[in-house]
Amino acid sequence: MMQEHEDPKFEQWLKAAAKSYHAPRPTPREEMWTRIEDARRNKHVVELRPWMRWAVAAAAVLILGIGIGRWTARQPVATVATADSTAPAQSDLGYQIAATQYLSHTEAFLTSFRSDVGLHRGENSVRFARQARDLLSTTRLMLDSPAGKDQRLRSLLEDLELVLVQISQLDPAHGAHDTDLITQGMNQSNVLPKLRSAIPAGPVPVRTEGAL
Amino acid sequence: MDESQLIARVRAGDSAAERALYDTHVDRVYRLAFRLAGDDALAQDFTQETFIRAFDRLGSFRGDAAFSTWLHTITTTVVLNGLRKVKRFRQREADIDDAHDIGTPQRHAEPDLKVRLKQAIDDLPEGYRTVFLMHDVEGYTHEEIGAALGVETGTSKAQLSRARAKLRVALSDFAGEWVQ
Repeated sequence: MMQEHEDPKFEQWLKAAAKSYHAPRPTPREEMWTRIEDARRNKHVVELRPWMRWAVAAAAVLILGIGIGRWTARQPVATVATADSTAPAQSDLGYQIAATQYLSHTEAFLTSFRSDVGLHRGENSVRFARQARDLLSTTRLMLDSPAGKDQRLRSLLEDLELVLVQISQLDPAHGAHDTDLITQGMNQSNVLPKLRSAIPAGPVPVRTEGAL
Repeated sequence: MDESQLIARVRAGDSAAERALYDTHVDRVYRLAFRLAGDDALAQDFTQETFIRAFDRLGSFRGDAAFSTWLHTITTTVVLNGLRKVKRFRQREADIDDAHDIGTPQRHAEPDLKVRLKQAIDDLPEGYRTVFLMHDVEGYTHEEIGAALGVETGTSKAQLSRARAKLRVALSDFAGEWVQ
């Protein structure tokens, strides 16, 4: 039965015993400071003044409009068939835009993985595994979406799924061997060049925001 | 140099003052993040995010409360939101996430006190757990906790009392340890 009254002996014992719960290691202040400085430096580079944000937003809308125009112009069958067939076409466009953002996130992630995984290997393995799992769930959603009907994109998504599964299961204890195998596999399957070629050229205003 | 002068120098763009402010507070922020997250990579992420936000928003710090109180408000927000995302993500990805154990309870029974205590703390409701760890483990006052979590001091005290009561029930097998 729950007792609400104070019990100094229990509280004293509990305080002492609970010190072992999630006991922190010494603060890695230099490592964190370096990353804070890098993040703030990079943020300053892309930080926009209010009027610039409006300009970028306007440019993005213009680019999107041109993109929609070109894309629909290349789809004569979809646009002249029946009224019913235009709805899925528009919805597919939405998935394509989502796919472009997802591919940009994944490109940034895999690039970062390949270059950074060797540094602070154990900690990075955990971090990359976490990020890979996040992207993996999006990859599977993409495979099940209309974007996955495109054979070229589907093949790329399946390659990415394989790489992301491997990264998501990285074990810090066997990090060096596993990461070497993953990067070798990435090189052999040419997944990064394929990924880059699948991303449309031109600015994508929010391409990596929040991904890493 | 006192802290208000240090903050004024940070606002003026002095990077040495930024580092000094970071050095003054980073231990406590990291320790709290680690206690709540139970994972070094997450604790580092949360600590970095806390300082990045704090430096970016220093202009909005009016000095009505201590800087540490303001900073710990950011810390608890960053950590609790981050842990909620991790929890949601882990639920989604349960099929590939068997090997990891960050802030999630272990369901198998173990007679060991440390394991049982960990499980009991993990099983506390989020608010109780946060107040318990801040007060009984990291030594924050109820005033600091109330300010950081945006609750009344009385609420913090009540949550601590309920957390202890739940832990007492959960650990009743070990009563011999404290009833002597």
